[in-house]
Amino acid sequence: MSDTSKVVDGFLFLPPALRAWIGKDIPDQPFSGRIPWVPLDKSISEATFTLMTSAGISMKSDPPFDMEGEKAEPTWGDPSYREIPKTATENDIEVNHLHVNTAYINQDLNVILPLARFQEFAQEGLIGKLAPTCYSYYGYQTDPTVLLSETMPQVAERMRQENVEAVLLTPT
Amino acid sequence: MTNTPEFHRQVGIPRVAAIEYPYGRPVGQVNDRDGQRKVLKATLSVLENAKEPGQISHLPFTWPEEPKKVDWHPPEISPIVKVNLDEIKRLGAKMRKKGKF
Repeated sequence: MSDTSKVVDGFLFLPPALRAWIGKDIPDQPFSGRIPWVPLDKSISEATFTLMTSAGISMKSDPPFDMEGEKAEPTWGDPSYREIPKTATENDIEVNHLHVNTAYINQDLNVILPLARFQEFAQEGLIGKLAPTCYSYYGYQTDPTVLLSETMPQVAERMRQENVEAVLLTPT
Repeated sequence: MTNTPEFHRQVGIPRVAAIEYPYGRPVGQVNDRDGQRKVLKATLSVLENAKEPGQISHLPFTWPEEPKKVDWHPPEISPIVKVNLDEIKRLGAKMRKKGKF
């Protein structure tokens, strides 16, 4: 962590044409709205964590995220969420995402939903604990209205029920 | 955590750990337990040390493959890219003409 000079290039892995297409709609200025902020009032070694990823991960025992709807209407993305028990492994899950190669997640869930790593951190006392339930939704949302007004309040309520104090969000 | 800080800063995330890792593998390589732990410890450190809303901390990690060789793409072109393919190609050609890449 000694190199403080790095500035992450979020377009590094994109082909140039795709970079130009995606980049044209991103304003080159800081966010101007209100950003939610809750101070961390305790050590992470005492805090209860959960994890949530936008990778479209579901348990094999649950319905998968809807990819057919997006194929029929390319601006639509499934706005629902799935619960992933903290004990889940790559053998228990299904990944559905039309915008990335999901093969790596199927080989090692920790590349995007690091359940095993956080279980280790809890056992080592680095964090307080990992809550029983972690979460996934589907990150391709051109209109996030349903995701924000219906889905995420349900997720937040589930987190409250399990006394979650910190959430690590991992992107796709 | 984000691998596209330019994109994610537009939605106002309280604390951001930016990492230059490919789409689909923000925490690290398959079965690289030590590497994943380093990334996650650095990310937890951002949570502990962030002082104000919207702060972006750029993590120092570098992906070991050449960017062009990283296989992050879906096996089929995504539906939204498929319907915009002509425009994407046009923008690519325009950028090439300008010598941007």
